[in-house]
Amino acid sequence: MLFMYNEEIASLFTNLEIRVGDRVKVTSADGTFEGILMPRAEVGRNDIIVIKRTDGYNMGIRYAKGIKIEKVSGTKGAFSFPKVEMSHDRSLKTINMLYTGGTIGSKIDYVTGGVYMLTKPEELLAEVPELHGIANMEISNLMSIASEDMTYKEWIRIAQEAAAVLNKGSEGIVITHGTDTMHYTAAALSFMLEGVNAPVVLTGAQRSSDRGSSDAFSNLICSSHIATKSNIAEVGICMHSTSSDGQNIFIRGTKARKMHTSRRDAFRPINSVPICKVDTKGKIEYTSDYRHVGKGSKKVKALTGFEPKVALVKVHPNSNPDIIDYYIGMGYKGIVIEGTGLGHVPTSPSIKELSWIGQIRKAVDSGIIVGVTSQCLYGRVHENVYRNLRLLRGTGAIFCEDMMPEVAYVKLGFLLGNYNKKKAQEMLNVNIAGEITQRTRFDEFEVE
Amino acid sequence: MHDSDYYRKIGFKCGLEIHQRLATEHKLFCSCDAGMKPDTKIATVERRQRAVAGELGMMDRSTSFESSRGRGFVYNIFENSTCLVDIDEEPPHDVNGDAVETGIRLSSAFNAKVPDEIEPMRKEVVDGSDPSAFQRSMLIGHDGHIEIDGKKYSITSIFLEEESSGIESSNNETVTYNVDRLGVPLIEVDTAPDIRTPSEARSVALRIGQLLRLTGKRDGDCAKYLVQRGIGSIRQDVNVSIEGGTRVEVKGLQEIGSVDIIIENEVERQMKLLEIKKALLARKAQVGAVQDITKLLSRSGAKMISETLKNGGVVLAAGLPGFAGFIGYEIGANRRLGSEISDYAKMSGVKGIIHSDEDLAKYGFSEGEIESVRKELKLGKDDAFMLVTAQKDMCEKAITLATYRARMAMSEVPPETRAVLDAEKGTTKFMRPLPGGSRMYPETDAKPIVVEHAYRKKILDDTIFAQERIAKIREELGGNLQIADQLIGSPKLQIYEYIASRSKCDKLVVAATLLERMKELERGGLRIDIDDDVMVEIFDKYPEGRLTKAGIVEVIKEMPKSEKEIESVLKKKSLERISGNKLKELIKETGMKGREDVIRAIMSKYRLNVDGEELSIMLGGKNEI
Repeated sequence: MLFMYNEEIASLFTNLEIRVGDRVKVTSADGTFEGILMPRAEVGRNDIIVIKRTDGYNMGIRYAKGIKIEKVSGTKGAFSFPKVEMSHDRSLKTINMLYTGGTIGSKIDYVTGGVYMLTKPEELLAEVPELHGIANMEISNLMSIASEDMTYKEWIRIAQEAAAVLNKGSEGIVITHGTDTMHYTAAALSFMLEGVNAPVVLTGAQRSSDRGSSDAFSNLICSSHIATKSNIAEVGICMHSTSSDGQNIFIRGTKARKMHTSRRDAFRPINSVPICKVDTKGKIEYTSDYRHVGKGSKKVKALTGFEPKVALVKVHPNSNPDIIDYYIGMGYKGIVIEGTGLGHVPTSPSIKELSWIGQIRKAVDSGIIVGVTSQCLYGRVHENVYRNLRLLRGTGAIFCEDMMPEVAYVKLGFLLGNYNKKKAQEMLNVNIAGEITQRTRFDEFEVE
Repeated sequence: MHDSDYYRKIGFKCGLEIHQRLATEHKLFCSCDAGMKPDTKIATVERRQRAVAGELGMMDRSTSFESSRGRGFVYNIFENSTCLVDIDEEPPHDVNGDAVETGIRLSSAFNAKVPDEIEPMRKEVVDGSDPSAFQRSMLIGHDGHIEIDGKKYSITSIFLEEESSGIESSNNETVTYNVDRLGVPLIEVDTAPDIRTPSEARSVALRIGQLLRLTGKRDGDCAKYLVQRGIGSIRQDVNVSIEGGTRVEVKGLQEIGSVDIIIENEVERQMKLLEIKKALLARKAQVGAVQDITKLLSRSGAKMISETLKNGGVVLAAGLPGFAGFIGYEIGANRRLGSEISDYAKMSGVKGIIHSDEDLAKYGFSEGEIESVRKELKLGKDDAFMLVTAQKDMCEKAITLATYRARMAMSEVPPETRAVLDAEKGTTKFMRPLPGGSRMYPETDAKPIVVEHAYRKKILDDTIFAQERIAKIREELGGNLQIADQLIGSPKLQIYEYIASRSKCDKLVVAATLLERMKELERGGLRIDIDDDVMVEIFDKYPEGRLTKAGIVEVIKEMPKSEKEIESVLKKKSLERISGNKLKELIKETGMKGREDVIRAIMSKYRLNVDGEELSIMLGGKNEI
């Protein structure tokens, strides 16, 4: 393995039978250096040889004429994590962990120096021994992908697996997931898992678990507490409540959104308050109404249809409605508009061709379901306050109440994938999984 | 004080690590203020950390030790000097180019080579001093040297890294840190362990400090300083070992003057520990099993015991066969083997241990009680014991740590990181096990820095090295070499240059005042804290004819905060200078004829207002006026 070294250096190494990880001696004009040959980072110049000195520091030596390289000794055996046997404690509940990838399962690769995803989720458990005292955990290694690469196919896969383990008697599920699109997956699962009768908890990490400060540890602990101890029969996201470690919030899957690129408390409830707070010791404090786990053993049904030909379109000053023509032409079945304010689209701008009304009407007339949401995220859209809103309503577009644009997008894909068009149209602004509420509470804005 | 022969015989080895904060505007990996200006606390966050496997897959011994203590950390966040990067909520920004340039300049000042590519690393720390649980650090210089009195000392490595947070308070559950200082660029200069006496160590430390201070960047006619000054801006760690002993690191010495005494004491401590080891082995000493003696002491008259038991605590003891007389054996000023054992036990949160080499009556133990404990532990005349009392969990941890340390008394001088306890007496205490080498891994969020030849050359072309600065100061002070050299070696140099380059005041007056008069004030216990620009204003009053030299010192004493305050000090203390015609009138008023008489009369009354030199000139060379 000669990661990212240029051809000249790579062939030199090959001739000398030197591999990354070997102990080498490099003699340059600046002196002689001994250390372990490291791989090159993915970017930057590739004529620099990086070695790790005995004190642990890496240094780069430019490969130039006259440089001498010798192999001192071969690679030391690679480190592997201690094997963890999950013991089964009869006094504890059994929950399932579905591993899908993301930062929570990322590790520094000491060979490449980059962050990679774990292929063995057991490694994660090895670092959180507290989990053993919370529940018996059964792990399914579903996939190992970054959340920006998730598609509806993965949502379906997760929904099927969740339904399967629940129907086998699992009392709760923790799903580890990359954070970027975790709220899309949470919404998808909220819609897809019909009749869910146990807590389904998505969690992740904003700092990878190879650092001592990672939020992965407390997120896993708090999520396991909810999956084990709570009687919430809903899908939700369990992440840090604040920038401090120790307490998490559990947010309904259709009301959660990643609102910060990097903070550990990035996930906030939008138009909602958290279902509960939970601390690492397992104390759960319920903060709003939720669906309770019911008696009896009804089966969970995974409704796994999804229509991929749905678009999420954002309007803004100067935005051109021609894009709608494109979607009509491509045979799209649904469009969710992310409007401004109460749900506006440009209606009578001075540049006449920038009015969206005509195109939206054309889309509706051609059989596309058009939903209207707001880029404000917070608050509810309205179809009557201004004349321009009434004009938009007149096109046949559906105003989606207090549903977030991304949730409306997932919902429309879900509806079109599982029901006929008429039913989908009827259900778009009717609550299924907590995505639409009738009351807008005062304390739902910028919840801390 | 021993001579160099002595240190050669005992196999003394010593190396230094000097840490110096850089004077950049921003922090190393973000745009926060790095000027260490007063700032307002705006929030706190609480965090937990744990040791994770290091690069070689091993948990470093010092990190897992701290992690096992399980303490929580609170971070105080400040308005201008803390951002999300500092509290581990945002990836690092691009490295501070000024800091890298400074690192390259300073590396060159130590004749060190700069790597072709600088690789940012993460150094794991779990004492909580960094919210990210690692410190960013990079090798920026290697294989340098300095020369003192014809002897060469190797400078093995120079690192550019982030300053840690300052500790605000700590207890068993939490440590509170201020995250204003965290991330300020720092240069670490490491010597090889080729220092052969404690006094050499002191000279090397002084020289390194001096080179850090004197190296500068050309900035028009001025020479910009590269490093911060003031309390805490420079710290030295010393590494000491002797034959048969081990490498021990004493951390965070702020006073350069105490470097030698700290080292002498560490040598002494290791020698004494080796003596103890030898004697214990000869006695076939042992550390006995831990026993619960709560019941035995349930009615103890010792207040410490009875109070702990009342609250549900326990007493755990361990017999130490063969240890009698050695736990109390002095290994430094007011330090015994018992203090070392106690330091370990304290890591669990207990206040300390009780051992049988102490006067147990002072705790309130009766003779009978002591006897019964000895009997229970089956101890003889050469045997000792130690006990700890606390709540069960803490107590178990404490006695485990104490027996761990006691066992080491028979095998080795433990490799440790130690903290200064008393700089004057040179005593230190255990902080944590010495970190191993397995806690470094690449900082993948930051790009490596390629150092091209042209870039390096450009930086070095506008670097002012020590020799040049020394020559300039000597010239500036009119060839007064004594005062010039004193100034060059003094921490007052930076403030001197600041004032000298801005004030119209005679430079010799500035230098003499800072070096002699201010030092006197500081020796008297005054901590002078005056804004640099206010200092300039004070000195300006001298050439303006409003203050005498003595008057300058009087104003400094009052520590004015502004020009306005200088004026009010002037008025309040009647410091306005009397000169010219007014002085002539004053002379007339005395009605005296004799030159010496006039001077005496005026100076006794107007010492602070009249410049002796002016008076003398005015009176001319004659004795009669």
